[in-house]
Amino acid sequence: MSLISVRDLKKTYIVGDIEVRALRHVSLDVEAGEFLAVTGPSGSGKSTFMHILGCLDRPTSGQYFLDGKDVSRLSKNDLARIRNHQIGFVFQGFNLLSRTTALENVELPLLYNSAASKGSDRKRRAMESLKLVGLEQRTHHLPNQLSGGQQQRVAIARSLINNPSILLADEPTGNLDTKTSIEVMDVFQTLNKERGITVLLITHERDIAEYGTRIVAFRDGVIKTDEKIANRRIASVELAALPPVSVD
Amino acid sequence: MTIFMTFRIALKALNRNKMRTALTMLGMIIGVGAVITMVALGNGAQVSIEQAVQSAGTNVIMVNSGNFSSGGVRQGQGMSNTMTPDDAVAIREVPGVQFLVETINNRGGQIVAGNQNWNTHVEGTNVDLPLIKNWPLESGQFFTPTDVLSASKVCVIGTTVKNMLFPDGGDVVEQIIRIGKHPFKIIGVLISKGQSSVGQDQDDVIYAPFTTVQKKMRGVTYIESMTVSAASADNIRQTSDAIAAVLRVRHKIQPGDSDDFMVRTLEDIAAMRTETTKTMTYLLASIAGVSLLVGGIGIMNIMLVSVTERTREIGLRLAIGARGGDVLMQFLVEAVVISLLGGSIGIGLGYGLSRGLTQFLQWPTYVSPQAVLVAFGFAAGIGIFFGFYPARKASALDPIEALRYE
Repeated sequence: MSLISVRDLKKTYIVGDIEVRALRHVSLDVEAGEFLAVTGPSGSGKSTFMHILGCLDRPTSGQYFLDGKDVSRLSKNDLARIRNHQIGFVFQGFNLLSRTTALENVELPLLYNSAASKGSDRKRRAMESLKLVGLEQRTHHLPNQLSGGQQQRVAIARSLINNPSILLADEPTGNLDTKTSIEVMDVFQTLNKERGITVLLITHERDIAEYGTRIVAFRDGVIKTDEKIANRRIASVELAALPPVSVD
Repeated sequence: MTIFMTFRIALKALNRNKMRTALTMLGMIIGVGAVITMVALGNGAQVSIEQAVQSAGTNVIMVNSGNFSSGGVRQGQGMSNTMTPDDAVAIREVPGVQFLVETINNRGGQIVAGNQNWNTHVEGTNVDLPLIKNWPLESGQFFTPTDVLSASKVCVIGTTVKNMLFPDGGDVVEQIIRIGKHPFKIIGVLISKGQSSVGQDQDDVIYAPFTTVQKKMRGVTYIESMTVSAASADNIRQTSDAIAAVLRVRHKIQPGDSDDFMVRTLEDIAAMRTETTKTMTYLLASIAGVSLLVGGIGIMNIMLVSVTERTREIGLRLAIGARGGDVLMQFLVEAVVISLLGGSIGIGLGYGLSRGLTQFLQWPTYVSPQAVLVAFGFAAGIGIFFGFYPARKASALDPIEALRYE
């Protein structure tokens, strides 16, 4: 059974008098442990698709099975619980709370997880999460005291704190330079390989998409191509080849 | 999410915008402070009325002439001249009556002693006045039945009059003062009573035998009023009814006609004044309440700004698993924290202001626990009421839209 299985997904928006068909008849299976890159030009429906996969939105019709359970008709509150427990989000703009330390930013999802209400427990888990992305030295820094790459790593640490099975990254390298982008992709690849987390990466850059194991390209609301990547880029190898300059 | 954590998040958020939080709170502080002060003033007035009644004795009955109507045209209180010393003689026989004094005032007429002068009214009264008013003398003595019978030109004065006419002090008993054109001998000085509950100087008095005022000063045979004390406070109602019955017979008032006098107990008068004070309190409190309302609108305004400003934060919280209810609570609690904190400081401010008014202006004030509780509850209510709409707006945001918000 696939971790993610969507069948005949449709999403239609009504904007004024015009019906916008953002997704039409999309079907896709994603196995646990895959690193799926979703590409496509703007307006292709990839964002809408990712919002539905991320349980931020519900399809107009069709089914979405997450871990074998149909989540396409769940209530808002049930979707919120799934987002909290099973999905980690990483955004292009980091979306860290300003004037809030890295540690507290990472803790944030735990505040909405009723199973993790003890303060000391939250702190310990946030520390572990920050260690995973190599930021254990920056726990009490504020976002504006961190570089872009560091901020994105804090955001990744935040997305990991509830041990999600899926990591959903929406243009995570869009605000970063090439080298920092490779570093962030290295974090994703490591998490994918070592912890078996399924990564869904939205990007419009083909070379970033090549860090994944499989590329799905959207166009006009349908999947145009779906292919395995032959020459996958490995971030750690590329980093080792770069001249050794400390970014931190 | 536990309510405790919601409070912590709210406090953190408010702490990030200290100036804004403080200014928003100021609206609540002023509002609650004003309400507390106004209610304290009203309560203070009421308490001092109650104290005045208690100190004057609950068993005092006032009999005033009044309501004189001639052919259907009613005159005001005290306009009829139908009450006479003979009425007083009859009322003294009513069961339950302990003491009685007749009263007739003489207004105007400068009071002169040596090179000093003063102006106050002369109250004609009878020998039992110190007993009814529970008012001892500081020197000399009160006049005797013989003085009343013979309408002697003697008087007893309060300390204010004494200080005005004899600024050098010393023994004033046996001194002669001139009231209008009449020389009076001072035979006693009353001890100081201070201000009355309505701020009147009770020591600014001159007492003379009522017969003297009637015959020597005014040239009349009627009296204006009587002050009666009942033997006990328990049957004061029966006593005052009996007095009214006696007067009706004596004044030949037919059943159905209106009385030409008024019999009231001190409690009746106090109740009337309390009513007036209450009206004033409500009026002042509602004016102060308007500023509380404005404070509430200030909270709503700032919360709306805050929701718009933090749209992305709300989007993020929703994306990582906050439910609409969590976001609603977060903003509601922020509003309630502002209003409760402001309310608490406002209660302190109101208490301080009330103490200040008492200290520096001698206005009686009383901050009752009920007023504090009501103000606190009101502050919480305002926080919830004015915080709800912005919080609802925040919780209803679509996470996708909110995350895209620039």
